[in-house]
Amino acid sequence: MTQTLPRISAYGDHALQIQYDVDGFSTAINDAVHTLAAQLKTDENWIDIITGYDSLVATFNSTALTIDSAKRKVEDTLIRTPQSASPQTQNRLIDIPVTYGGACGPDMGNICQSSGLNEQAVIEKHAAQIYRVCMMGFLPGFAFLSEVPKALHHPRHANPRAVVPAGSIGIANWQTGIYGLDSPGGWQIIGRTDQVMFDKTRKTPSLIQAGDRIRFIPQ
Amino acid sequence: MITVLNGGTRTTLQDDGRAGHRDKGIPTSGAADRLSFAIANFLVGNRWNMPALECALGGLHLRFEQAVTIAVSGAEMWGQINGQNFAINRALHVEKGDILTLSYARAGCRAYIAVAGGLSGETFLGSQSTYIPAGLGGIEGRAVKSGDKLSIAGAAPYGPQSLPNGYAPQLSKHIILRTRPAPEWDWLSLEGKRFLFTTPFYATDATDRMGSRLKGDKITLNHSQPMVSAPLIPGSLQIPPHGQPILIGIDGHCTGGYARALQVIQADIWLLGQIAPGSGISFRRCFAENAPKILASRHAFYNGLIPNFRF
Repeated sequence: MTQTLPRISAYGDHALQIQYDVDGFSTAINDAVHTLAAQLKTDENWIDIITGYDSLVATFNSTALTIDSAKRKVEDTLIRTPQSASPQTQNRLIDIPVTYGGACGPDMGNICQSSGLNEQAVIEKHAAQIYRVCMMGFLPGFAFLSEVPKALHHPRHANPRAVVPAGSIGIANWQTGIYGLDSPGGWQIIGRTDQVMFDKTRKTPSLIQAGDRIRFIPQ
Repeated sequence: MITVLNGGTRTTLQDDGRAGHRDKGIPTSGAADRLSFAIANFLVGNRWNMPALECALGGLHLRFEQAVTIAVSGAEMWGQINGQNFAINRALHVEKGDILTLSYARAGCRAYIAVAGGLSGETFLGSQSTYIPAGLGGIEGRAVKSGDKLSIAGAAPYGPQSLPNGYAPQLSKHIILRTRPAPEWDWLSLEGKRFLFTTPFYATDATDRMGSRLKGDKITLNHSQPMVSAPLIPGSLQIPPHGQPILIGIDGHCTGGYARALQVIQADIWLLGQIAPGSGISFRRCFAENAPKILASRHAFYNGLIPNFRF
């Protein structure tokens, strides 16, 4: 694996973005993002360390750090430690039952149209592979999963919906994901699960964690 | 004990939030206008970050079931106790049975009602701040409603205080936000960049603690490649393909898939809490070297009065 150093840039006056250059999805890059996040989390001057697919945003306590000193801290961390050292080892496989299409998947027609496949073929393609949970976020319980088969790639809605129901399964470009709560959203919704993705009374509120593997089971 | 007679448009219990959990998708939350929230707590003799009520746009009626010191700060609302007008930014003594009403925000959006000793709600991840979409913190994770009984947590560490001249924030119906570039700034077209700093925007009805959809000149992007979902922080201005910006609030999404054009500087984030539907909003550039100076001087100014307060 060739490891390029990421670009570090200011994000406003109290955060940095650390961006790896990658076209599409790369497991190796996502590993590097999570490894760097774990290393930065040992320093208490950072407030939020938020991982993306190919980038990481770190907000800092501006009474302790400046943009420049924060940049140096990240550079030091990157130089000091081999980035491929600890890929995520957590490998739970979680089955998610999904009702595809119909009222649960109002955008199924869009995917059929752009892919030239019928609904059954779209469902088979989407459920055929095991996905990796690359990041959690957007809202509590929302799981961002790895790449969908090429035929299913589809852009987001230009104007996001005001309410997408909890458990909805969506596609945005090459990404697929599960909505954890009723929320606004711009993804193409193709199905819904009745699993409760986020429950504050559970010991671990989120049903799934970054690093898990997900298998969709059509109902 | 305080009885809620009417919860108003949306009133929630807030403290200084649960920063540090955005990687799990848990928004920061906390008082949307931290400065007014801190001032209300200061006036009643509390530490600045004790839980208080945040009332958006008015409509809140409370009955006090015991004598206590309170203070109201933030939006300029028409406030009355037992039908008598009272001034904001002042410690007030209320008796058992007194009724406080807040209505119509003339300027700003959110008023903070602090009670000596602080209010008490549910704790989630170290904070009592209410986050309604996931039902976290506060009073059962929701807005307060008529019939709720709010308990006072304890005694205030200090006595009632007064606010010296010059410390009360001046709110207007047109809010000016100083900004620095965010990661996708260079995706904007030249006109888009110019319009962002030269033309006013207006907050639409889709304005709440999560954020505010703005209306104004269309901001176009030069970059046609789709965006990969990436982390987002409060105070980010996103540009969706339809060109009408979205300003991310304190309860805002932890990641987003639209270009992040601008980021409000930390010293101005508190103003996000005073954006009401219909508010005018203008964005200004802040030079890189000025942003830390502005923050340091604002901290020095307020810390003389309110120890440990952080914007």
